[in-house]
Amino acid sequence: MDYTISSIAPIVLLPFFAFAINAFIVKRFTKLAVFISCAAILGSFGFAYNIFCDFMTVYSADYHIHKTFNWFNLSHGNLNFKVDMGIYIDNMSAVMLLMVTGAASLIHIFSTYYMKEDVRYGRFFVYLSLFTSAMLGLVLSDNLLSVFIFWELMGFCSYSLIGFYYEKEGAGNASIKAFMTTRVGDVFFLFGILAIWSIVGNVTFVDIYKTIAAGGFDGAMALGIPLATVAAFSIFMGTVGKSAQVPLQVWLPDAMWGPTPCSALIHAATMVAAGVYLSLRCYPLMEVGNLTTAIAYIGGITAFGAATIALVQTDIKAVLAYSTISQLGYMVLGVGVGSYNAAFMHLITHAVFKACLFLSAGSVIHSLHDHHTHGHVQEMPRMGGLRKKMPYTFIAMLLCTFAIAGVPLFSGFVSKDRILGDALLAAGYSKSFIIPAALGFGGALLTAFYMFRMMFLTFFGEPRDKELYDHTKEEKISWNRNVPLLILAVFTLGVFYSGSLTGQKIVKVFPKDSIEWFKTLIVEPKVEKFQNYQSEPFAWTDTRNKTRFERTKYDPTYGLPQEEYDHVHHVHLIGAGMSVLIVILGVGMAAMMYLLRLWNPGWWVNTFARFYRALQNKYYFDDMYVKGLIKKGLLPLNNLLAAIDMGIYDRYAIDGWQYVVRKIYLVSKWFDNIMVDTVAVDGTGASVRLMNIVLRTLQSGRVQFYFIIIIFLLTFSSYIFNQNF
Amino acid sequence: MQAHSNLLNWILWMPMIGAIVTLLIPSKMEKGIRWWSLVNTLTTFILTLVLYSKFDTTVPGMQEAFNVKIPWIAQFHINYSLGIDGISLPMILLTGLLFFLCIMSSWTITKQIKAYFSLFLFLQCSVFGVFLALDFFLFYVFWEVMLIPMFFLIGIWGGENKEYAAVKFFLYTFFGSILMLIGMVALYYASGQGADSFDILALSGGHFRNLNLELFGTNFAFNKLLFIFLFIGFAIKVPVFPFHTWLPHAHVQAPTAISVILAGVLLKMGTYGFLRIAYPIFPEASKYFSYSIAVLGIINVIYGAFCAMAQNDVKKLVAYSSVSHMGFVMLGLAAMTVQGMNGAVLQMFNHGTSTAMMFLLIGILYERSHHRWIVKPDGTKGFGGLYTQLPKFSIIFIIAMFASMGLPGLSGFISEALIFLGIYERFTSITALGLIGLLIGAAYLLWMYKRMFFGDVIDECKTYTDVNAREIAYMTPLCIAVIVFGIYPSPILNMMRASVGKLVSLLATF
Repeated sequence: MDYTISSIAPIVLLPFFAFAINAFIVKRFTKLAVFISCAAILGSFGFAYNIFCDFMTVYSADYHIHKTFNWFNLSHGNLNFKVDMGIYIDNMSAVMLLMVTGAASLIHIFSTYYMKEDVRYGRFFVYLSLFTSAMLGLVLSDNLLSVFIFWELMGFCSYSLIGFYYEKEGAGNASIKAFMTTRVGDVFFLFGILAIWSIVGNVTFVDIYKTIAAGGFDGAMALGIPLATVAAFSIFMGTVGKSAQVPLQVWLPDAMWGPTPCSALIHAATMVAAGVYLSLRCYPLMEVGNLTTAIAYIGGITAFGAATIALVQTDIKAVLAYSTISQLGYMVLGVGVGSYNAAFMHLITHAVFKACLFLSAGSVIHSLHDHHTHGHVQEMPRMGGLRKKMPYTFIAMLLCTFAIAGVPLFSGFVSKDRILGDALLAAGYSKSFIIPAALGFGGALLTAFYMFRMMFLTFFGEPRDKELYDHTKEEKISWNRNVPLLILAVFTLGVFYSGSLTGQKIVKVFPKDSIEWFKTLIVEPKVEKFQNYQSEPFAWTDTRNKTRFERTKYDPTYGLPQEEYDHVHHVHLIGAGMSVLIVILGVGMAAMMYLLRLWNPGWWVNTFARFYRALQNKYYFDDMYVKGLIKKGLLPLNNLLAAIDMGIYDRYAIDGWQYVVRKIYLVSKWFDNIMVDTVAVDGTGASVRLMNIVLRTLQSGRVQFYFIIIIFLLTFSSYIFNQNF
Repeated sequence: MQAHSNLLNWILWMPMIGAIVTLLIPSKMEKGIRWWSLVNTLTTFILTLVLYSKFDTTVPGMQEAFNVKIPWIAQFHINYSLGIDGISLPMILLTGLLFFLCIMSSWTITKQIKAYFSLFLFLQCSVFGVFLALDFFLFYVFWEVMLIPMFFLIGIWGGENKEYAAVKFFLYTFFGSILMLIGMVALYYASGQGADSFDILALSGGHFRNLNLELFGTNFAFNKLLFIFLFIGFAIKVPVFPFHTWLPHAHVQAPTAISVILAGVLLKMGTYGFLRIAYPIFPEASKYFSYSIAVLGIINVIYGAFCAMAQNDVKKLVAYSSVSHMGFVMLGLAAMTVQGMNGAVLQMFNHGTSTAMMFLLIGILYERSHHRWIVKPDGTKGFGGLYTQLPKFSIIFIIAMFASMGLPGLSGFISEALIFLGIYERFTSITALGLIGLLIGAAYLLWMYKRMFFGDVIDECKTYTDVNAREIAYMTPLCIAVIVFGIYPSPILNMMRASVGKLVSLLATF
């Protein structure tokens, strides 16, 4: 296929124009605005699908498109500084584009059902369009700066959508919390960009790879630490913030204040996954910076810790929120243990099944209308037995639950199992990976447990709130409620991703030899390949040599020597076996507790009361940040500084001069009054007056007196003259 | 090249003509005064746009075609000399735009209209004078003259504590001016009292490197000492910590339009002074002190942000945010790299538009509420649920707020990013600290927004009406500027890059 700008740019521009138009017309022409948004994203999907098909036809691990243009230029004379922007599409971005546009399209459609009665129905789509275009822009970015730009724009959309019901106190707090927590990560991210820029001269991915290959990072220091480590750490902190990893995970559960479709799109499928996408793009940097072990630990801790908190949640969206954090933890663990391909695959599979889970939850919540509070019900203790009322939602949600729990043949099993297998492999190579691997397997057990707990509490058993249940309408299949769910649910089948089973021909574009297409095409960027790389300038016509790429053939050993591959395969088989056992165990325990009711959950709560409290308080992270860091640290510090500034510094050091000047004024006033005025000026007058009296007295007119004076003066003067001469 | 020498004269004196004509209009004709001022500022703004269209972006330094040079006080070789380059042009455009918009926002002024508008136009003339003057003496005259209208505008039309604020503003700036005066006189003698002794361009280039000055029996390096004098003079205007405390008083007490001009244009005169006078004349000393400037800049950024967070008066909060954001300009100036310096000039422009939006919006709100408390002194909410009550106002406020905190896609981001790119290469640890400022900068604005706009509408706010057509009319150009230059900054960067590049090259040789 020929690539021109007109076949790529619309992917981003269509939703962006939809946003720009809708921002003005949404108030008057709500329906038209919604239509424009949906049409735009479906158009984007069309263009993305086109590109995806092209990549599948070429079917080469090295195939990519890279076009750049100048954004602005500050060069003058021999001073050079310019900032380029560009589009970079490789297999990873092609898959990502398809996923984002696909999920976003379905979520747009679902939103026309879910948000229909909302007062701000139209405005929701305005934000949705802006968000989608930012996310697609991020995927197409060829450099870290434009990633950062779109990254922050998504943060803004996330802020706006979490605070969508701004009348509610909680929504306002949650929106600030989300923006500020991710901003902590963003600030590090920006620092990472600066650090890389100082070495590479720009932040284009391929130039970073090139520099790494040429050893440009060797020996460079920043803040007394190797610069590569600083850069890798800073960039990874961006991931930690956006993908809600420990210790910046606190915002994502609160983000559930937003409408459910936005939770599905932003806080499950796309934005939070963008953090992992960034880490994958910067994977060579993470290796050079020796950060992989730390990443694996963060991922493992998050995967396990969030899963434990999910065990005790009663709000259906909260369970899903913690499961999102946990699943993102798996992806990060995958990055840490070098499981590049599987981490990305989990990103895609998770996006599909988690979007579907959220939409299903939305479908449930939307149907449960509380006639007393006039609100929707999200609490699982008031649900139960709903599978009879909403069979289609139930089917979709069940398939996705299979996927996330890791039931074999489903997508979650394929991707998560590979990550766990690689973690096991890494643990075999180095002891430091044992803990992350163990946390990963432990988390898998908990995942199976809490997901089936959620399913049992929602859909099985007897309805616990009879009145609510009776008021709930029977679900009728509708194009904008169930169809998006069922489409997503179909894509939870593992065959679409692994392709190692029969059935890959469902997707027509896949080549016949596309066994394990995902593993064949998505390979980690080897920096050596980029040594002599040149990007093409942006042009309306495509001038690339189209025969440059050879089709990548399926290599069963993935380029590994047979012996090593056998070992890898062996370890993976062990991992897969363990995963299967774990799923059975987890589902069994959930069934014992919540389906068959043989075990009493209350016993567990009482026995582990302290642990239970810790879980309910989310391990006290929120308390630590809000009550400790902000209320005891930041705000008092602000008040102190402001008080010093106005109350002490300005009042004494600046206005104090007034008193100094007044003192000087008093002294000078005294001097002026006493010395100058009284003594000098008035004194002169007085002395004249005195002289007047004296002279008047002298000029008495009496001759005898004149004689006395003359004699006195003569005597006196002769005495003086005799002394001197 | 065609000469356009009268253009600068027209731009400079057009507001003065306006002020004089305003004085001639009978004070009963309030409408006439308002419309005349509007027409006058619009004409000035159009003239600045004409200047932009004739400006040659490839020429570094002063554009010969526009120069004006007439002897003024010939005995002392003082000239009436005007000129324009890529550093002053963005400031000229900003001044033209903001004064025009501020006239529209001053429509609601009812007290002594004639005096207000004539002083306001007089102020515009003096501001243009500062940005156009190429003669140090002329520069100084305009710098000082500007205080007079400012003093009365704050002192007569200000808030409850206006006299204090006006006197404080006057004395603070005056103190700095005296140091500048000393610097100017010293330069006059150091340069030999010749024909070029007050010519800023002729003084530039680092001629005073080897000069020594004996003062009280101690030997000082002439350029370092004089740089400190000029630095303090300009730093008070910026304002750089610890010379910043006039700003919260003046901004809070001044009427809306004056706050806008103060924050949008007058603060930039300080940094413009560095770029036009202190840096080119003493490049070696500037380089020598660059670390100190960076440290002061970072204190501004962080300290201003922390202080802003503690404020309960929304105007004071924005005033402190100006302290913080001007700190970024200082960081860019301290970097002395091509990115940093361009970023600093761009930040001067961008801060001008975004902070003007903030102050205008607060003014709009004040006209409805007659108070500015986020939390009143008695602990109750000052505002609440404004988003529900004033939807259009809230959307404009969001744009202003996010532009001010540097959200990518809006103008503040590019300048801040350029400044950070510039400063990183020289002072890495200061860059790391500066990022804290970005974090706190987002925090106080979002927190303010949440407290004022989210939640239920409180009873007091239920009577407020949304922005009217006039208010939308003067907010729209700024909204457009903030968005367009956020996506496509090249128009402004192209204007300045040659001139800034010339200055950077000069600094690089020392």
